[in-house]
Amino acid sequence: MFIKQAEQLKLEKQHGQVDSGHQGVIRPGRVFLVRWSRYNPYYLEPEPRKEVYHIPETELTPEQKEERELKSVRPIKAATNSVTSSVFNDPVLSKFVNMMMKDGDKIIAKGIITQTLENMKRKQVEKYHKAPEGKKAEIECNPYAIFHQALENCKPVIGLASIQKGGKFYQVPIPLTDNRRRFLAMKWMITECRDNKHRRTLMYEKLSQELLAAFSKEGNVVKRKHELHKMAESNRAYAHYRWW
Amino acid sequence: MELETRPETFSIFRTQENDPACQSEQHLGQYYTVPPSHFHTVFPHGLPPRYQQQVKTFNEGCVMVRQPALELISHLKRADYSKPTLRYLLYGVKGSGKTMSLCHTVHYCSTQGWLVLHIPDAHLWVKNCKELLPSSYHASRFDQPIQASNWLRNFRTTNEHFLSKIKLRQRYVWTKRESTEEGRPLGELVDMGVSRVKSSSDVVGAVLKELRLQAGGTEGGFRLAVAVDGVNGLWGRTTLKKEDKSPVAPEELTLVHNLRKMINNDWCGGAVIATLSQTGSLYAPSSAYLPQELLGEEGFDSMDPFVPVPVSLYSEKEFESCYLYYLDRHWLQHSHSQTEEGKKEMIFLSNRNPSVLERLCAFL
Repeated sequence: MFIKQAEQLKLEKQHGQVDSGHQGVIRPGRVFLVRWSRYNPYYLEPEPRKEVYHIPETELTPEQKEERELKSVRPIKAATNSVTSSVFNDPVLSKFVNMMMKDGDKIIAKGIITQTLENMKRKQVEKYHKAPEGKKAEIECNPYAIFHQALENCKPVIGLASIQKGGKFYQVPIPLTDNRRRFLAMKWMITECRDNKHRRTLMYEKLSQELLAAFSKEGNVVKRKHELHKMAESNRAYAHYRWW
Repeated sequence: MELETRPETFSIFRTQENDPACQSEQHLGQYYTVPPSHFHTVFPHGLPPRYQQQVKTFNEGCVMVRQPALELISHLKRADYSKPTLRYLLYGVKGSGKTMSLCHTVHYCSTQGWLVLHIPDAHLWVKNCKELLPSSYHASRFDQPIQASNWLRNFRTTNEHFLSKIKLRQRYVWTKRESTEEGRPLGELVDMGVSRVKSSSDVVGAVLKELRLQAGGTEGGFRLAVAVDGVNGLWGRTTLKKEDKSPVAPEELTLVHNLRKMINNDWCGGAVIATLSQTGSLYAPSSAYLPQELLGEEGFDSMDPFVPVPVSLYSEKEFESCYLYYLDRHWLQHSHSQTEEGKKEMIFLSNRNPSVLERLCAFL
């Protein structure tokens, strides 16, 4: 990564740019990769959501007016490829796609996720149409709701850290941040679907089965979360080894 | 698979007129339900695979009434069946609904009591063939037993009631000890083709010949509809190879040879409805959709003269209807897909192309 940055700076110096800190210029016919370089802190974050730009002049609060004036003088960073102004954009789903991606092949990862969502929706809608009138309201057909709920059900509440005390390492229960919990849930889901499946089942098939199972709090991923909780509970005695 | 029959309710995108013969311009853009009893007999093998999945999910088979299908049906109603057969060709960009229009027309022919000869995809006969036997009837031709027997089985499901009525006009000899006599019902021939897989391609040829001879007849006459999907596969190249690795031309396959004779307009008493298809085609660029490009010179000369029927993308009214149908079947689940913003985005992303819209709505 540092080699790339150094090359980036070298290229820009050759083309006579102002400072090594200033980036983000597009010469006609050439586009530099700038997003993963270090931006000068002067640059502001882009705003991809459409609603912000639709607010008429009169309804802006003083902070929003100030922000708009600031944006008209300061340069803005380039937006990443994964951020869209589409109404169907979902940051949690994007994160899941990135975690599933191998060798930078986002197309395949995104394809697997869309097939998974379609598969889940098909199973649920089929069940819905075959169910008697009374049971129809209980069946959840929205694949996005199922995905979010399943992920919630897989998130551990408490985690374990390996802390050294007196020459030995103890597994100490520690609180987890939100990001860490989300990461663990996604990681467990993906590893479970990659490892414990039949050679012939496709990834999207296995993923949809696991997500539907996690939605109803069954399945291997939820089991793994419960085992982590049990380990933490059994190691309660070492909790005072934590100093933060 | 049990398809449900629903009580009649009024809705703007559905019509209660389930008989294709009675549908007219006022039903354009509306969905009609194919009755569950007809479904497996009329369409054992014609529908696109994604549509079959949709039928299974929604528990009902609904087809949109569109302009190309209505045009075809009106031509079929007014044609003169004592003259040589008219050939109709459906063409359009990828995913615009050619196969579905063909299936709608096949349903019409079926309800009118015609004998339907539906070849689901001619490209399946010119590629991916595991067994290629040299033909016993003609030395330089090749037989495809698996494809022929599959097709005969589906043909038998579609046209059960005709099989006992049509009698053969010629004696067919299969081997030294086996032959089918004159005057036997067609059903016997078809059963023989299904059970004896080795001679099934020749049986297909015999069936096609008999139907061609008897279609326009005055005594016990029936109308014959030949529906071919992906007709551009019959001319052009194949991916099959002989044992010495030289390529097989389509004329050298018995099935293709007999089907080409069927598409010629030298018989009367029926119609030939064909669809072009780039999706399964071999050695054709993906942007090609016009008849001249896909059929090639040879194919165009054989099909000429034909009635071209263009199939376009969804109009605004048809898009609305499709959107409301998906909403009704609980297929559009994303909270934003039910808003105006989401709808505008769907129009932009799919460009109103029916198959692209279907794939888009699948994960929304």
